[in-house]
Amino acid sequence: MIDFDNISKTYPNGTHALYDVNIHIDKGEFVFIVGSSGAGKSTFLKLIMHEETPTSGEITINGKKISKLKRREIPYLRRHMGIVFQDFRLIDKMNVFDNVAFAMRAVGESAATIKKRVPYVLDLVGLKNKMKDKPSELSGGEQQRVSLARALVNNPEIIVADEPTGNVDPEMSHEIIELLNEINARGTTVLVVTHEHELVREFHQRVITIDHGRVIGDTKDKGVLSDHDVDDDYNDVPHYPDNAVVLPD
Amino acid sequence: MKGFGYLAKEGLKNVWNNRIMSIASVCVLVSCLVLTGAATLFSINVAQVVESVGDSNETTVYLKSDVSRLEAVYIGKDIEKLDNVVSTTFLSKEDALEQYKDELGDELFAQIEDRNTLPDAFVVVMEDLSMYDKTVAEIKNIDGVDSINDHRELAKKLTEISNLINIICVGVVTALMIISIFIIANTIRATMYSRRFEISIMKSVGATDSFVRMPFLIEGVVIGIVSAVVSTGAISLLYESVMSAITGMIPFSYIPLTHVILYVAAAFALAGIVVGFFGSFISIRKYLKKEGNEILGW
Repeated sequence: MIDFDNISKTYPNGTHALYDVNIHIDKGEFVFIVGSSGAGKSTFLKLIMHEETPTSGEITINGKKISKLKRREIPYLRRHMGIVFQDFRLIDKMNVFDNVAFAMRAVGESAATIKKRVPYVLDLVGLKNKMKDKPSELSGGEQQRVSLARALVNNPEIIVADEPTGNVDPEMSHEIIELLNEINARGTTVLVVTHEHELVREFHQRVITIDHGRVIGDTKDKGVLSDHDVDDDYNDVPHYPDNAVVLPD
Repeated sequence: MKGFGYLAKEGLKNVWNNRIMSIASVCVLVSCLVLTGAATLFSINVAQVVESVGDSNETTVYLKSDVSRLEAVYIGKDIEKLDNVVSTTFLSKEDALEQYKDELGDELFAQIEDRNTLPDAFVVVMEDLSMYDKTVAEIKNIDGVDSINDHRELAKKLTEISNLINIICVGVVTALMIISIFIIANTIRATMYSRRFEISIMKSVGATDSFVRMPFLIEGVVIGIVSAVVSTGAISLLYESVMSAITGMIPFSYIPLTHVILYVAAAFALAGIVVGFFGSFISIRKYLKKEGNEILGW
């Protein structure tokens, strides 16, 4: 479903964000992308969403080489994805229903479809009874669930969550990942970028570790996932000062 | 386009939410349109006056001051004998002064009545205006004729004044148009900034550029249409009062507003829509090229 072949990315200011990255993600997989701040995780997501293009290499999504996409084709690529942001990015003046409906209106869905689909998705994330509430009236975890509902509402094949638990308490973090797990169980491919080590260990999913622009670990290669696999990947990394801060033992 | 009703509603909401900037844009665009309309109407009226003056087959022939009334009668007969002359009407200097009586007032008229320096004259009607120059030359050759009021000279002068005013107006209007586009572009930029979260979300869920652009273009066009409506109202009010004031000083028959108002309104609407659309377009073009956090300015 998602293929990164020999991807390197250097920004115009000379920053090398990714070096010769090769990743293959199958349809229906649940993958954690972990790494310290500045490791290249955000660049990885930007490349998937086509917010950036690689300096070299080829990215293939759903069998389509996206580096060859024309500008007007990019929105249609993004319709295969649902994005969940760390800061939720909800529109304060809109209520929960409208925040979710907004994503459907943006792709030109009819009012009748919106009326039917939005309550269904809000029910999935457990917020059907809060449709009329404003985001400011919700807790951090609830706001993130609204953000998740918005990502899901257009029925994407891939959910890309960028630090989805970064602004919620640990209990809610668990719930959010649990919800993503359920979505994954229905066949949606889920990519979760995080640096919350505890959470990653808890869910026993595939973990790709990026550090200083290189993939330094992929639990899929090991065949069996254990609580220690992720730690082992980190321990294999040459000594970088920020590793210890972001992913403590 | 799918969801056009929704986009139109969003565009109208933008105008209201940004009302201070919208009003500023409307004011600048209205002043621009009213000035353009006034200049155009002035020019059309001058063109009509020039045409009527140029086409007039009446010419006034002034006689020398030492010509007696008897000599004047002979001069009139000499003029009438010319091929192209249809008729001559004698206008004595007393009659000429009488024509100014109303404007001078009784007191002043009484003072200058005895010191009338106006010349005796003939009002000559010609048959064929293409022979105007030849006939004028023949009249000038008659003894006792002092000068001829050449209507073509007046028409030429009026045209020159009209052209000068047109050139000045083109300059001022061009400057105002640029200012209008700039202000509308800034109004739309302010709207886009306030809606940057929405734009970034729209782009992330796969909204096309034209979908993102549409509410802002509608906002610009609405500003243009509102300006056109206000300008049409303003020019209607101004036209009649300005024209009655002018005709009070210089009598001439001006083009009635009802004959031109539809054209003026259509031209205003077209200009307003083009300026509004263009102002929005240049603003959003730059914004649409941004991606992700760039849109949010992070």
